[in-house]
Amino acid sequence: MDALNIAREYDSVQYIVIKIGEEQYGIDISYIDNIVRMQSITRVPHVQPYFTGVINIRGEVVPVMSIRVKMGLEPDEYTNKTRIIIVKMENNAPIGLIVDEVREVVTLDERSIDEVIHDSKVDETFINGIGKNGDTLISLLDLNAVISEKDNS
Amino acid sequence: MDVSQYLGIFLDETNEHLQTLSDQLMILENEPENEDTINEIFRAAHSLKGMAGTMGYKRMQNLTHDMENVFSEVRNGKIKVDGHMVDILFQALDALEEYRENISENQDEGTNDNEPIIKELQAILNGESAEASDDKKDEPESASAEAASDSAENSSGSEEGKWNDIVLHEPEQHVISEAIKNSQKVYGFTVYIQESCILKAARAFLVFKALEELGEVIISEPSVQDIEDEKFDFDFSLYFVTDSPIDKVKEAIMSVSEIDHVIGDVIDMDKAKIANEDDEEEAAAAHEAEVKETSAKNAPAASSAPAPAAPAAKDNKGADNKKNAGANKPAVNRTVRVDIEKLDVLMNLVSELIIAKNSLVSFATSDNQNSHTGFNEQIEYLESVTTNLHESVMKVRMVPIESVVNKFPRMIRDLSKKLDKQMELHMSGEETELDRTVVDEIGDPLMHLLRNSADHGLEHIDVRRERGKSDVGQIYLNAYQDGNNVVIEVKDDGNGIDTEAVKRKAIERGTITPEQAETMNEKEIIDLLFLPSFSTAKVVSDVSGRGVGLDVVRSKIGALGGDVSVKTKLGEGSTWTIRLPLTLAIIQALMVVIGDEKYAISLGSIQTIEDVAEEDIKYVEAREVINLRNTVIPIIRLRDVLGVETEKEVGSNLVVIIVKKGDQLAGLVVDELIGQQEIVIKSLGKYINCSSRLISGATILGDGEVALILDANVLI
Repeated sequence: MDALNIAREYDSVQYIVIKIGEEQYGIDISYIDNIVRMQSITRVPHVQPYFTGVINIRGEVVPVMSIRVKMGLEPDEYTNKTRIIIVKMENNAPIGLIVDEVREVVTLDERSIDEVIHDSKVDETFINGIGKNGDTLISLLDLNAVISEKDNS
Repeated sequence: MDVSQYLGIFLDETNEHLQTLSDQLMILENEPENEDTINEIFRAAHSLKGMAGTMGYKRMQNLTHDMENVFSEVRNGKIKVDGHMVDILFQALDALEEYRENISENQDEGTNDNEPIIKELQAILNGESAEASDDKKDEPESASAEAASDSAENSSGSEEGKWNDIVLHEPEQHVISEAIKNSQKVYGFTVYIQESCILKAARAFLVFKALEELGEVIISEPSVQDIEDEKFDFDFSLYFVTDSPIDKVKEAIMSVSEIDHVIGDVIDMDKAKIANEDDEEEAAAAHEAEVKETSAKNAPAASSAPAPAAPAAKDNKGADNKKNAGANKPAVNRTVRVDIEKLDVLMNLVSELIIAKNSLVSFATSDNQNSHTGFNEQIEYLESVTTNLHESVMKVRMVPIESVVNKFPRMIRDLSKKLDKQMELHMSGEETELDRTVVDEIGDPLMHLLRNSADHGLEHIDVRRERGKSDVGQIYLNAYQDGNNVVIEVKDDGNGIDTEAVKRKAIERGTITPEQAETMNEKEIIDLLFLPSFSTAKVVSDVSGRGVGLDVVRSKIGALGGDVSVKTKLGEGSTWTIRLPLTLAIIQALMVVIGDEKYAISLGSIQTIEDVAEEDIKYVEAREVINLRNTVIPIIRLRDVLGVETEKEVGSNLVVIIVKKGDQLAGLVVDELIGQQEIVIKSLGKYINCSSRLISGATILGDGEVALILDANVLI
């Protein structure tokens, strides 16, 4: 009974946990349209460097972005764990994000999410919270920041 | 009952009727005696009036009503059609058009009563010339208004404020006393509907709807339910709480059509409770009511013993529903009217598709040894079905350009008067079909070109006579299909483009230097006309001459994937040619391979494909060129342009695709050709910012891969 009450009191959100390099990130599940395996990506010349290209998702041409390049990490290395996460923000067109691995779905409530203290030395952050799931820490991706147009690479 | 769901139909039909009116008026102007035309006009005006009335657009209805009256008199041979009358009628059409636009934008007809037009129409009816009647007009009207109010006063003795018959129960009394406490006003109204009205319930509903915008209906007699079920005579009474003055409320009620009149007054709570006894006193109060016209007939026997009022709860519920309906205003959808035959074909194809799918399923589940050949057969069948399906869907999107061009005769007529030039418009090929999106956009550019021809092209009558041309200037608008393109020509037999004048103007404006002007050929000079803010009109007229015409034409048509060109001969006229792709979504393309990537190039821009030996490449100003049949063509290596990294084995020959933009040619070097293919254009979306604009879109190939579409025009 108590447990139920607690669950009601705190808003909880489901996140998909992904891995980029050694770090784990969470993406709000409500924005995720689809998760597909790595497939051949058509390169588009003369575009922002973090756009790997475009793919065909059920007859739609969807741009694919490399989170690694966008974050300034070394370029993706495709393995058979690599996935493309198709996210759809509200009324915007879908966009694909390449991640190293998709791990699990977790439910986090408010209490287990910490605010991020913004470091003034870093101009830009792609994270809007840190979730604690047992012993592991999950950085919660701020999708708007990831997708938005800001040339940082 | 919510009329908003009929809005789309209403707008569509209004368009059609307005178009009919406009067409027929044009005919009428030339043949004032043509009876068929007059009948046609009368019918269209009548339908318009009916529709506007049903939708509750009072002003629109009034105007069409007067138009209808005029036509009715014309039909009866009582008045003759003359130029003045046609002018007025065209003005009325414009006013109606304005109402229609207002309605399509915000579901409201606006507040323009267009009184001058109505007055003119009535003047025509009265058989007077417009000027003479203008002053006189007011008098009879006010006189009749007075007469009406007189009779209202006289007859008000027989007017019973029927609302006094309503028995108030506890909840209603409570609401009323609350309202009075809040210094709101409580009125009683009795609304009389014209006895000729067929849809009483609908009118009553509209009255309620109008009232709910101003306040709250507390109780009605008969009950709302009964009114909706049409269980009442030609009147109903109600109590109404509002902040608005009584005149305003009455106005709102009267704005509903087919309402004969309404009486009402402030409610005296004490009397109301007692009800039913002091009719006379109430009647005296009622006589102040502003009543348009009354007669003895409109006091039908009071409904027998006041029925217990409908529970207030019910009333409120109804009100809530209506409020909700009002809140989510549906935006007017863009629609295509589709020939039912086209839909039938589509439906057949879909059923064939299902059959094809089913047989594939049965092949997959059966262990038949021959299944391989059967399978292939089914695939072929499926292919033919999908091809047909695709074709039919494209056809559904196609609409004749008629809907755009048929407003032009009217425009030319107006221009002819405004510019004081005689001119005739000849149209052909109105039935030519184009994709709906193209048709929507093509109107403005065409209008610009026609105006251009009328204003700049055609000479004044004395000049025409001097040149031995007929007095009446000729403008032609021809449309026809040419392969995968649709061509629309605007031709006039006027002055043509005076290249010297264009040159002078350009120099004057600093667009070009006199030295440049010397070396320019005719084509280049004419191209100057398409530059922004360039106009050769000596006088800025409201027809043209603001220099916003031709550059808009070019950019708009460019955006549609077409181009515009002009041929002209000084003194003999000019021909403007617009070339548009049949549809935007699907193009014929040549698939090529560059490195290990596939690209599509629109077939429309490709001239030829050449096999060029490496040693034939020459250098001019450090750029690679080839000399092809005596034309020097620059070479563009797509590998470098597109940044393709993989190396290819160096062959001795290059595959060069010669592409054309206007008069310029360029050779694109590719690695390999795949072949011609029909491709569906998909947008890359707004995330990807292709700075060079080299890629105009993408397409999905048969194997599910994405190939990019190269815009050859950007390369040249």
